[in-house]
Amino acid sequence: MTLRRLISELQNFYILSLNALLGIFRRSLNWRDVIDQMDYAGVGSFFIVFLVSLFIGMALSLQISAELAPLGLKMYTAKIVGIAIIREIGPVAIALSYAGRVGSGMASEIGSMVLSHQVDMLRVYGTDPIIKLVTPRVLSSTIMLPLLTLMGDAISLTGGYYIAVAMSHQSGVFYWSQIGDELNFQNVVSGLTKPFIFGYLITCISCAVGLSAHGGAQGLRRATTTAVVLSTIMIIVVDFFLTQVLFFILGMQA
Amino acid sequence: MIEFRDVTLSYNENPVLDGMSFSIQFHEKIAILGSSGKGKTTILKLILGLEQPDSGKILINRTDIANLSESKLRDIRMNFSVVFQEGALFDSLSVRDNVSFCLLEREKLPEDIVESTVKNLLDRVGIKDAADLMPEELSGGMQRRVAIARSLAGCKPKMMLYDEPTSGLDPITADTICDLINELSSGNPSERTGLIIVTHDVADAVKVADRFLYLRNGKIRFDGDLGALTSTQDAELKRFIKDIL
Repeated sequence: MTLRRLISELQNFYILSLNALLGIFRRSLNWRDVIDQMDYAGVGSFFIVFLVSLFIGMALSLQISAELAPLGLKMYTAKIVGIAIIREIGPVAIALSYAGRVGSGMASEIGSMVLSHQVDMLRVYGTDPIIKLVTPRVLSSTIMLPLLTLMGDAISLTGGYYIAVAMSHQSGVFYWSQIGDELNFQNVVSGLTKPFIFGYLITCISCAVGLSAHGGAQGLRRATTTAVVLSTIMIIVVDFFLTQVLFFILGMQA
Repeated sequence: MIEFRDVTLSYNENPVLDGMSFSIQFHEKIAILGSSGKGKTTILKLILGLEQPDSGKILINRTDIANLSESKLRDIRMNFSVVFQEGALFDSLSVRDNVSFCLLEREKLPEDIVESTVKNLLDRVGIKDAADLMPEELSGGMQRRVAIARSLAGCKPKMMLYDEPTSGLDPITADTICDLINELSSGNPSERTGLIIVTHDVADAVKVADRFLYLRNGKIRFDGDLGALTSTQDAELKRFIKDIL
């Protein structure tokens, strides 16, 4: 890829991201499209989020209690599981699952619309493809990903509780009281700010890649793969910088 | 009037159009012929302002459409209706919603008028019972008919643009589509809705057009009527039109 093309694609991405956001305030936004997307992205992702979250919570609880047991510190399992899930692993793992399921779906659906001239038809009819296709997806992702994260965190913590009580023989009441201590303002804000940003990023990346699809079935495959790979990398990179920013804003120290 | 002046366009440094020039009146019935992948569809996209040329001018009613804003291009596009290859139907919408799309999104017409217009259009293209079907439930021929009905909805185009409207269809269905295209562009030559059909199927082009442009190596190599086409001395063009000789 030449430098000129890279700059041009980045410029297109920024314009799309900005216009998709501004599209929320346009009268031409079709709310039925938003509801449809929320159903696909949110309700449709629940089962995957359930499975991913449950097993991550159980695995984390198992690992931590196994490490802490020889030191006689098993009772801190819930504290570590809570911090890890609420602040970091929950938002990131669910965003990665979301990128795999919803991001790839967005890229392939929009890419297929581009290749079959459906997007051209929208433009011929005077409909802005960004308002019609991208804005409803941005809205649905920024609403549904935080909700999915909230549910996923609860499921992870419940999975962790099951392991702590059933396999590590810890007190269930003590487990939840420690989790309650970790549900403070800083941790909750930190854990729920990330999904908004991740949802926006995944959608903008996937839609931008889909809209630039070309070259038939192979092009569609390339677009879908690129959307998932770019979203995955960006989630992990942005997570690091976002954590630093949130540490600064919330007055937390490393 | 549509005018191309020395238009060039490349994809990934591969030239598609190389100094192309021609002019077309809105009431004309034009066939742009050429092998697959030679830039025929690109010409339609350039006319509609969906793509921009690398250099040269594209004038629609004497307005250069290069670098026009989307809102100004919208006005230019009102002159045309387009039927893309394989219909380009919105696959998440039913036939009814596809045909009514423009009426609701652009014209903002009330529901009852939209409903009766859709009914009339589907009746006109001979598929009035398909309103509730989804695009994937339609045959290739039905998809083209829905696409034609959709292209007629909500506006009175000066010119219809057809991109390979009969490709992949059996000869009988292709004939029906050609009849429909002819019917939509019938009437007094100075007042009728003109058409541009881009195709590699010369037999179908001859059924609907009366002026032919032959595209090769990014340039117009032939421009004339049926008589001139059949008496061409160009060896490659002769081979291309052997079906009608």
